[in-house]
Amino acid sequence: MTTAYRIWEMIERSNTGPHMEEDEFLPRLFTPTLKKIIKKYEIKYDPDNPVQTDDDMADRLWQAGWELFREVGVYNTDTHRMIKVSDTEIKEALYTAKDQYRVGAGKDAVLWKHRTVEDPEPPFCIMSPDITCNEEYHHSMCLAYLKEPLLDGICAPILEESTGQLITSGGPTEINGCIQHISNLRLAARQLGRPGTFLVAVGTAEHDSGQIAVSDNEWGVRTTDARLVGSLTEFKTADTLLNRVVHYAQYGCYTGHLTGPIYGGWCGGSEGVAVTLVAYSLIGLVIHGAIFSQHFPFHLNYVSNTTRELLWSISMAGQSLARNSTLLHTSNGFANAGPMTEMLFYETACHALVSTVTGWHLWEMASARNKHRNRATPLEARLGMEVGHAVARQEMTREQANDLTLKLLEKYESNAADAPLGKEYQECYDVAKALPTQEHYDMYRKVKDELAQMGIEFPY
Amino acid sequence: MSLEQLGKYVEDGDDKESKALAERLLTDGTDPLTILNTLTEAMGRVGERFAKLDIFLPEVMLAGEALTAVVELVRPRLPKTDTWTSKGKVVLGVVRGDLHEIGKNIVKLMLETNGFEVKDLGYDVDSLDFIKEAEAMGADFIGASSLMTTTMPRQKEIIEFLKEKGLRDKYKVVIGGAPASKEWADMIGADLYCENANSAPGLMTGLLVE
Repeated sequence: MTTAYRIWEMIERSNTGPHMEEDEFLPRLFTPTLKKIIKKYEIKYDPDNPVQTDDDMADRLWQAGWELFREVGVYNTDTHRMIKVSDTEIKEALYTAKDQYRVGAGKDAVLWKHRTVEDPEPPFCIMSPDITCNEEYHHSMCLAYLKEPLLDGICAPILEESTGQLITSGGPTEINGCIQHISNLRLAARQLGRPGTFLVAVGTAEHDSGQIAVSDNEWGVRTTDARLVGSLTEFKTADTLLNRVVHYAQYGCYTGHLTGPIYGGWCGGSEGVAVTLVAYSLIGLVIHGAIFSQHFPFHLNYVSNTTRELLWSISMAGQSLARNSTLLHTSNGFANAGPMTEMLFYETACHALVSTVTGWHLWEMASARNKHRNRATPLEARLGMEVGHAVARQEMTREQANDLTLKLLEKYESNAADAPLGKEYQECYDVAKALPTQEHYDMYRKVKDELAQMGIEFPY
Repeated sequence: MSLEQLGKYVEDGDDKESKALAERLLTDGTDPLTILNTLTEAMGRVGERFAKLDIFLPEVMLAGEALTAVVELVRPRLPKTDTWTSKGKVVLGVVRGDLHEIGKNIVKLMLETNGFEVKDLGYDVDSLDFIKEAEAMGADFIGASSLMTTTMPRQKEIIEFLKEKGLRDKYKVVIGGAPASKEWADMIGADLYCENANSAPGLMTGLLVE
């Protein structure tokens, strides 16, 4: 059971809740409340230790996130009203939420379970380039990701064009693109003998109409798959997003909550990002009826989350959620560097390491600041998932993870501002066979061997 | 109490103290233009600190509010021969179909605190509305932000509408947003691509000088 049973109470509140001018919501309510809460719960960033071991602060962070959600609520930009919830409703949703869900279909179905801090169970691995690609490479990229051995779920690249036309959000071209997206994805899964693979789809749909157009168990997104509902930064929603909440619940598929708190924006610094991440998980559960949250906090200037300011937020929020709830949450890596650069491999490894040890599941890997078309490949995601499996299996502690993180940061952190753009998919992969080039594979292997020497015990 | 202190109050975003001190300085005979120049320098420092993320968006907003409070106080006291003209007039918005506005809001803050006059059209703005508002304002710039690949075509649409209406040369079209790029700007014929909010005031000023 999901917590979607409350959707009509939430929708009603978005039409009748307290009114506030939109321009006032973030500067006059969200940020001042967040600042007070950070102070009240003594949340303090420690740049020297990106992977914290302070259990008490993790628990205070949980209280802080809860209070932020309860005090601020969520603002609907269409109705100019706030959806507010009570402590009892949050408790009820947490009580009824399951700690595991079976996702995907048939023999390819996977049990996705809540993780704990320093959990020896490997993370659930969703692979995603998070980027747009040329129409001609879309099917190949779907194949390439689905060839990954550790993949538990996939979110395919996004189409910018369909049948040669630019896709425009909310228009007919988007519906066409969404159908092409899911068709390529399901074809690729079938070709690789894993037709029931758990899909998070379709990223090409920015508008609700595109999502709704592809809900079909026979040829489209199935009820065993998941769909995402985003939040507008920060704590804002709109009817087009709530349309998805209602549709996904009524269609019967799984819902995930997609959030990206911005370091340097309305959240402020690392402490604010951590509190906001925790609050977003509760928003996803209570308002969106989501079974998981997909979090991608990022740096305002770099649009990445592999520098220490963000790794600290990720590590704290992960521990907070892992210790105080049974919820599912994925940590979505955003790297500075582009494909086929050693820097991207280091960044991915570091993000996966920090996330896994602090209780997250993995969603890897957006590269090149998630900006440039065709600049993502499965190979960096593979390394991230292998790191996640390895450090979980070897029962790496947070102290060990912190030491290793500091060593990895030394390799790339100073290059964050001017990271290399790397290469495009078709330069790193044989497009027809959907396999990495030898040069690309050799670079991956070199970094993996180096990580092994640093103490990561890869099974193969 | 000094001009230096006023700059500090503005940097700290303390609008009440900024306003009170500006009142005293004016009463003591300080030249209003000197006060405004002090504010400009202070906001320059705010911009530099924000660019390095030594301070964050909420602090920039508070500094902007303190600046506005003082400017409103000082402006009526300027001698008629002195004017504090804007660097340029801008209509700014997020294109149709796109609800993500944090980038646009930061650009607005940076432009206003650097002396531009900005009309904020909000988000999900129809391409024709950008043009109508630019005409009504007598704008120098049309600034169009897009945060999604599937709303980027609307930036192109604004330029196409301008051409069809014979207005293309009347406005400098500036684009930005996460998926936008210099290549995209060149492809659609935009006048300027701003990679980030901090660069916008300088690049746009440069465009007017050309």
